[in-house]
Amino acid sequence: MAKEGRVPFAFQEETWQYILEGRAGLVNAPTGCGKTYSVFLGALIDFINRHPDNYQKKGSSGLQLLWVSPLRALAKDIGRAMEEVIRGLGMQWQVGIRNGDTDPSERQRQKRRMPEVLIITPESLHLLLAQKGYPEVFKSLKIVAVDEWHELLGSKRGVQVELALSRVAGVKARELSIIGISATIGNLEQAKEVLLASLGDGEGWAAGEVRHFIVRAQIDKPIDVESILPDEIEKYPWAGHLGLRLIHKVIPILEKSRTTLIFINTRGMSETWYQSLLTACPDLAGAIALHHGSIDMALRNWVEDALHEGKLKAVVCTASLDLGVDFRPVETVIQVGSPKGVARFLQRAGRSGHQPGQVSKIYFLPTHSLELMEAAALKSAMQEGLIENREPMLLCFDVLIQYLGTLAISEGFYPAQLFRELKSTYCYSEMTEDEWMEILHFITEGGVALQQYDEYRKVEVMEDGLYKINSRRVAMRHRLHIGTIVSDSMLKVRFVSGGYVGVIEEYFISRLSPGDVFTLAGRNLEFVMIKDMTALVRKSNAKKAIVPSWNGGRMPLSANLGMMLRRKLDEASRMLEGSGRTGEGLAMDEQGVNAKRKTGREGEVAIVGRKGIDVELRVLRPLFELQAELSYMPKENELLIEQIETRDGFHLFVYPFEGRLVHEAMAALLAYRISRTVPISFTFAMNDYGFELLSDQPIPLDDSNAYELFSPDDLTADIQRSVNSAEMARRKFRDVAVIGGLIFQGYPGEYAKARHLQSSASLLFNVFSEYDPHNLLIRQAYNEVMDQQMEERRLRNMLERIAAGKIVLRWPGKLTPFCFPLKVDSMREDLSSEKLEDRIKKMQAQLR
Amino acid sequence: MQPAFPYRIKGQQLWLSPDRCIFWEEERSLILSDLHFGKTGHFRKAGIAVPQSIYREDLLRLLCQIQYFQPRQLLVVGDLFHSKENKELALFLKWREDFPDLGIRLIEGNHDILHEDWYKKAGIEVCSPVLEIGPFAFIHDITDESVEKSADPAADGRGIVGTPYYFSGHIHPGIRIRGMGRQSLQFPCFYFGADYAILPAFGLFTGTVSVEPAADAQVFAILPPSGERGWAAGERGRTPGERGTAPGERGMVHRREAVGPAVSGNMDRRRMPMARPWSSGVKGPGSILQIQ
Repeated sequence: MAKEGRVPFAFQEETWQYILEGRAGLVNAPTGCGKTYSVFLGALIDFINRHPDNYQKKGSSGLQLLWVSPLRALAKDIGRAMEEVIRGLGMQWQVGIRNGDTDPSERQRQKRRMPEVLIITPESLHLLLAQKGYPEVFKSLKIVAVDEWHELLGSKRGVQVELALSRVAGVKARELSIIGISATIGNLEQAKEVLLASLGDGEGWAAGEVRHFIVRAQIDKPIDVESILPDEIEKYPWAGHLGLRLIHKVIPILEKSRTTLIFINTRGMSETWYQSLLTACPDLAGAIALHHGSIDMALRNWVEDALHEGKLKAVVCTASLDLGVDFRPVETVIQVGSPKGVARFLQRAGRSGHQPGQVSKIYFLPTHSLELMEAAALKSAMQEGLIENREPMLLCFDVLIQYLGTLAISEGFYPAQLFRELKSTYCYSEMTEDEWMEILHFITEGGVALQQYDEYRKVEVMEDGLYKINSRRVAMRHRLHIGTIVSDSMLKVRFVSGGYVGVIEEYFISRLSPGDVFTLAGRNLEFVMIKDMTALVRKSNAKKAIVPSWNGGRMPLSANLGMMLRRKLDEASRMLEGSGRTGEGLAMDEQGVNAKRKTGREGEVAIVGRKGIDVELRVLRPLFELQAELSYMPKENELLIEQIETRDGFHLFVYPFEGRLVHEAMAALLAYRISRTVPISFTFAMNDYGFELLSDQPIPLDDSNAYELFSPDDLTADIQRSVNSAEMARRKFRDVAVIGGLIFQGYPGEYAKARHLQSSASLLFNVFSEYDPHNLLIRQAYNEVMDQQMEERRLRNMLERIAAGKIVLRWPGKLTPFCFPLKVDSMREDLSSEKLEDRIKKMQAQLR
Repeated sequence: MQPAFPYRIKGQQLWLSPDRCIFWEEERSLILSDLHFGKTGHFRKAGIAVPQSIYREDLLRLLCQIQYFQPRQLLVVGDLFHSKENKELALFLKWREDFPDLGIRLIEGNHDILHEDWYKKAGIEVCSPVLEIGPFAFIHDITDESVEKSADPAADGRGIVGTPYYFSGHIHPGIRIRGMGRQSLQFPCFYFGADYAILPAFGLFTGTVSVEPAADAQVFAILPPSGERGWAAGERGRTPGERGTAPGERGMVHRREAVGPAVSGNMDRRRMPMARPWSSGVKGPGSILQIQ
């Protein structure tokens, strides 16, 4: 198979061998080293071996390889690469693509003649299962490949894949191979287990023989991390402010590298960055581009093609370019702001320097000075190989309810048989018979009803016990609904003269008046009107434009990174005390930072020659000194609590460094415990470093009750009672209700007709809480809060850590560097960004 | 039964009920709006499993109001029914039989799309777009242009001096109350402006949309029953396209209707007002609180 002089990697050959043996497993390889070929060629070789005489002539072999990929955008590139190989071998295989962009005529063609390879998204795979006669499609299928499995695992899309795999495995009586492809994550073993669960333990294999393999690509991928340091340290850091001021340091980096990817955490900020780069360096016009999820597909494709061809000097992007095929011209990556996790940082770094043996170069650009601490933490975490796990989701009833509807509109299902199949998946292996009965009851009877006055109609039980949806209207609505990605209602943005620019939240556009200018896809657009669910715009030359905001999920800091941050804080604190390694660190020169990193094995990034204190921490010294002077610098085993009184009221700041989600839960718990002793109201804010409780009256927390309030005792009960779990559940419920089919988002192009079926998640949450509190989907929302946010284990660990350590209480006379970002973030809600800027400047002046 | 709140306007005596309706003493009429009967059934028929008992609760609440105030007629300022005919409306007809002497006058709302025969069968007199009685006029949506016309004194040929005072519904008004420390709560409300009033939605399967009261308006919030431990919590601003994300259901205090600060578009969800435990005790009636 060594064609065109290319030599396969060892991991590719290993994978082919396993595929030929009919095993299932997981291939762990970074992008850009032929992971696609490792599985695709394996499937081809397998086919050739089975048809040694006529493999070149044999056509219409039916579906052989199902390629599940999370990204639509990837399909075309992968398909092209596959077709090249097929042509090279002179075979008759066809490659088909099936996703939301596939037009109906192509679908029809596929129905008549299935291609041998079908590249599909999880959503489209479910749509396939919603088609009558789907078992026929899978009859000839040999291999299901799941690409970017690490990206799917831990999300509801991953659960969708699990369900689809269980059905396909069911149709095939497990005569099937499943192969996942994943980047490095902390729990690869578990990732494999989840993916292959529905294949069972592999009956028919000799005892002791391992049916399920993991192949790890041993490819050197050295990573070089460098922080972009501000010349002067802002002693009062606030998010978003510093980043743009460092833009002059970015320009030289762009200049000296062929192509640079600049990763920004939010779509809104990426628009701002794009504009600012052009302002700072007008020469870049035409050589830089913008890429994020709300930009029209055609524009994005153009950017991607231009990237491939090396036409662009830089692309400002968001997570939209996290995945996917490699852009070989990319030599450098700049990460703006915290990547929130080690795995993501590594993945982004890996987008540069794709040629084997090349160094991946990534710069870290802080958006506020404290973030520099994260850079130091990231480096240490990479060094120690602390890569996050992706925790698989369990018992997602909303996804299950949707899946049952999907099966009910195609072939229908028999509960007993399907239950066995579901139990074989990882997600639903713990589902009880009672829960199953409840689910069946819910989809057939619709919960609490007024018997003879009810006309609930969804899934019906046929005479032979088959569960089926017969109503064509219900079936049609269900098809429109398949998927687990819930977005705010979006409007397309189109030029009056024609041509789409992208999408924008309805909420944002509803606040604009005609004539207002906003920016999207790097262009200034004047809003004209809304027509047919489309926002019409025309180009504008206005200097000032509003930057839209998209309500994307904010990633919380990972536990690994949090732990590392606390350690860095400890180092910083000791640095101030001038003890331990400090002297050494101070004596050390910049070499310590720039020391060459030796290459290590893939997955473990070796950074050597780093002794003493990180340069980032040393640069932050003035900030730490101010923090110590005004308040206190906590060590690793200390929890700092600051209480400050301002015009807004009484603030309580706590800094556990555990990430936003855990802080939200912690804030709720603490507020609950305090409010048990006195009647009091709070509002709160949190970031990844800590949280704030704000009240209109003094908050009764001092050394007499601090340990008690943070005690791990009664944690379980307090979490249950903790107020805010309801509020958090309310927010979770939105997604749950959409996925579970309670919220109908309307027919495309037929907005008005669905009007009488409109309701909001918040209203439904109220209604169910009052009238059907045990409803499965409500419980689902609470469970998600418990699992993901109020995660008892992590909370308990944190409280135990606090109990074992020391709580340090301070009453600073004014705002401290630590609390400043929290305070500023909370102001953001009342003010526009420009005024905010002024106000903060004023505050900073007052503080000096 | 919950105590009603007395309110005088245009020389008429009104009683604002915490159960989201107004009793007009002189005319012995119960004024209500946006009941949206049949809504749960409409959803359920489409395969969306909303609990139906909320509809029974609505009928029961209306029954209680009728027994308490003993009105001779109901003046419904629109959206009595949610959509097309369904079995839930059959339950309404059965309910209707218990009040043969009660008049029901419906000012047609945008949701009232039933056939005229059906209204006849249900003993409902349909008026459109405006009904005038004494110093008052009733209309579904006060922003309709027709109001302007009929509000024009020149067009008023029936000898009523000046323009009538309007009662309307349609928007399901809610009022946001802010406190120190960025606290904020939202409740359904009665809104009395200089020229017109807006009623809260009577039906419980409805949301609220917050209104910014004019300076000279009087606003009465409908507070949920005290007693249950109520944790107020945050809520994002209204999402257009949905009718009211901000909840505020009677008897649903513990359904935390407080609402996050009014926010500009880039609201993230980190800050939530939360947590005021109402006095502990038994669940009692809701109440009316004048906000301004």
